[in-house]
Amino acid sequence: MIGTQVRAAVFRHLIGKQLTPRVGLHRKPCWLHSAVAAMPFRTSSSPAPVLTAAPARGLVDDPISIKAGFMPPHHPVTLCMQMRSEDGDLWEAFGHYNTSADGTVNLARDHSVGGSYLGCEPMGLFWCLRPAPGEREDLRFRKKNVETPFVVDISLLEGHISPREKENAVLAVATTERWYMAPGVQRIDIRQNGVVGTLFLPPGPGRFPAVLDLWGMGGGLVEYRSSLLASRGFASFSVAYMEHKDLTVQLDINAADGYMKKAFNILKDHPQICGDRIGIIGLSYGVYLGLRMATNSDVNPSCLVCINGPAGSNVGLTQTFCKPKTSDSDQRLWPRDEAGYLSFKDMTSPNNYSPGTQVKIENLACPVMYILGEDDQNSPSTENSNLIADVLKRVGKSHLYTCLSYSGAGHLIEPPYTPHSRMSLWRSKPEKMLALWGGHTAPHAAAQEDSWKKTLKFLDQNLRA
Amino acid sequence: MNRLLLARLRKYPNLHFAPLSQNTSGSGGSVNSATSLTSSLRETPASRFDDHCLNKFRRLSAMSQVTPPPILTVAPTRALLDEKLGVQVDNLPPGAPVTLRCLHQSEDKDYWEAYGHYISDATGAVSVADDVSLGGTYRGKEVMGLLWSMRPVPGSRTGLRLRKRNVCTPMLFTISVYDGHVSHDFSSRRPLAEVLTERWYKAPGVRRVEVNDRGIRGTLFIPSGPGPFPGLLDMWGGGGGLLEYRSALLASHGYVSLALEYFAPGELATADLEFKYFETAFDLIKQHPAVIANKVGIFGLSLGAAVAIHMASERPIKPACCICISGSHLFPRDQLVTSIHQPQLGNTRKIRMDGEQNLIWRDMSLPISSDLSRKTDVRRINCPLLLVIGQDDQNTPAVEYADDIEQMMLSVGKEHLLTRLEYPDTGHLIEPPYSPHFRATNFMWDRKKAKVTLLWGGQTKAHSDAQEDSWKKILAFLQRHLYSPQVPTARM
Repeated sequence: MIGTQVRAAVFRHLIGKQLTPRVGLHRKPCWLHSAVAAMPFRTSSSPAPVLTAAPARGLVDDPISIKAGFMPPHHPVTLCMQMRSEDGDLWEAFGHYNTSADGTVNLARDHSVGGSYLGCEPMGLFWCLRPAPGEREDLRFRKKNVETPFVVDISLLEGHISPREKENAVLAVATTERWYMAPGVQRIDIRQNGVVGTLFLPPGPGRFPAVLDLWGMGGGLVEYRSSLLASRGFASFSVAYMEHKDLTVQLDINAADGYMKKAFNILKDHPQICGDRIGIIGLSYGVYLGLRMATNSDVNPSCLVCINGPAGSNVGLTQTFCKPKTSDSDQRLWPRDEAGYLSFKDMTSPNNYSPGTQVKIENLACPVMYILGEDDQNSPSTENSNLIADVLKRVGKSHLYTCLSYSGAGHLIEPPYTPHSRMSLWRSKPEKMLALWGGHTAPHAAAQEDSWKKTLKFLDQNLRA
Repeated sequence: MNRLLLARLRKYPNLHFAPLSQNTSGSGGSVNSATSLTSSLRETPASRFDDHCLNKFRRLSAMSQVTPPPILTVAPTRALLDEKLGVQVDNLPPGAPVTLRCLHQSEDKDYWEAYGHYISDATGAVSVADDVSLGGTYRGKEVMGLLWSMRPVPGSRTGLRLRKRNVCTPMLFTISVYDGHVSHDFSSRRPLAEVLTERWYKAPGVRRVEVNDRGIRGTLFIPSGPGPFPGLLDMWGGGGGLLEYRSALLASHGYVSLALEYFAPGELATADLEFKYFETAFDLIKQHPAVIANKVGIFGLSLGAAVAIHMASERPIKPACCICISGSHLFPRDQLVTSIHQPQLGNTRKIRMDGEQNLIWRDMSLPISSDLSRKTDVRRINCPLLLVIGQDDQNTPAVEYADDIEQMMLSVGKEHLLTRLEYPDTGHLIEPPYSPHFRATNFMWDRKKAKVTLLWGGQTKAHSDAQEDSWKKILAFLQRHLYSPQVPTARM
């Protein structure tokens, strides 16, 4: 094989074409390699290597199969993923691979030997995405407009290089779109009775089971989890309860109860929703609001999914709830830990619940699934989860409670295959404040993937069966 | 919300949104708008049919309050046109008769539909991949039957052909499941569940470039990435115009493909074309910076196939391979290119008609002349040639011509270059897979300046199988001859 290549190389030289370093590539001495990394290894008469990513248009929570072929065997290549967020930041990730004996790379089969991640990680390029060097730091990856896809370019590069050295080393590119909404899913702005939210309805006449979707103290209206749930057949209602321009009144915790009930009833009364098949999913402070609803005799959710949130509150937290993020840097409202990160660890610890704020856990009457990141640096989620488990055990309701505990996972356990941020910017005015979420990239990604699957199954069992 | 509710009501006629569950407690008046709408509906004088539907809906809705509604899953929801589709229904009662239906509204605003009759199993599931359709537009275990068996809904205009013009947007298909075995009046029934799926001709990242260079009119599709890529000259047939969808699909498979326009529909008789036009088009692709110059092939259907085989055999360009679908090697010399496929004036008496007034043109090109001045000398071809033909081609005697091509190539020991895919009960228009089958469609016969319907032939099931099988083999053929690396043998 090498002999033929040598003859071929000489032949081309004889007829005046540029000599290509095919021989050097096969022997792979490192000095030649670094020179070669800057040159395409093919001639104008041989086809380019091929890179495929399937499905080319998938939902964000769909795994994707990435393969490359038509390369020399046992050859070093880099797979690099790049994407621009809506704010224009460049996120990237890469892995170093060696082609197999048949000149192919298959991310479901092969191991990355360097780069952003190691080992066999079919979706590693997605969940390892990080702001590229030189871009803004401490970013969090969030899609605001869920009606358009993320367009992601995956490049196959010559040699084991970093994305900075990409120029002149690109062998092939596969473009893929990652969607947050399936075709036919309807996005409906809801401004009704003072409730601010977005309703996502699956296609078809219904009736559909539904989910009330609550996020945390970051506020605003976060739609991407709801749009994905609707793409999986659940009507899903993302509700804003703080930091939204259309909220007519600053809510306090008592007003929040009435507000949430109204939101729940919007689902219950909807002609295309099964009024008796509504669940609640909450993250962070959304867990507290969800638990309050579930222990309220007027509201009867069919199930509850709680991600890293408390079962009680304290005065500081309650006040924080009704103050805009940017208004005050009062230590009581936006507490910082010793390292200076925003942390709700004290405020949401069961030891520090203000009297009367702990929800009546014993009144829970529906299945509850608690998704716990053991490395949550923002909230004492382990203590909160244990508290709920203990109370339910005491009243003989353990059968209602499931806890999925993920070591190495942080606070923000979100839909899978999205990048992990161990910390991110909370706000920049009146002064910059960072939040430490915790979690280490690989175990956090595994937690997101596993918990999402289990969440969908849990919703299926409790809202559809 | 009121407006959207109205829109939904319009979409699903006879769907009366009567709040059947006890939703009135403490709702704080949030459903005022909905309630007033439903009460106004209830007050509308109802015909017996409306009553029947209302009661049926109430039964079904009551059912859904207790049992969950059926779940229809279609995957993938966004795919390329040549990718397979999985359709599954769950949560039905066991042994329930249901109908799966696929509906599409074309760019010309016609409705196309297909449907199959199924029975759920003991777990209340129907899987199109595993179960058998007992009736409808297709029967048997047909994974893709909901797509290839589509035909215009009853009451549509006749002689229609479904072709996507804008390849930058997807074709949208609505797949629904209905209670019972339904064969008509779908629009007046309420589906149990419904899902939409998008099917695209163009993969993400494929660039579309309009070409108007050196007099060449067409559209170039370039795969994403630095390349270089193999190239293809893509030519359709006697209908004329510019059809991009096959080129977009080929580019989605890694080929720079030029969809060539060589005459406008209806201009065939007057287009002043010489072969120079096609050669320039070929060179355009060859010289493109994203194209590997010695890996450019030609792809043609019908008249385009006749042009392709002539270029590959007798012109100085050197294609790396040649694909001819439903073509002939008829070539009256010293006449215009456009005269290849035209019904010869002297031969119009050979045109027959079937029972439905569709014109059968195939006999006009028969018998095949043994005179080399009347046909392309395929003995001179030097590249791999793939012929795709249907045995029921009523427009061109493709089988007879293929026999002649084969014989000519055999006579000079070049049969190793020839691959012949011949399909039974398959007609003339062998298109990318899962497209509906068109047995006879409207055609602008330029010579007579008349709109006629031409019989293309083929039986739907067999023709669809041929489309699926041939496309797979076409892609494999292209990959083998345009992608596999060939190390040149050294002569030292």
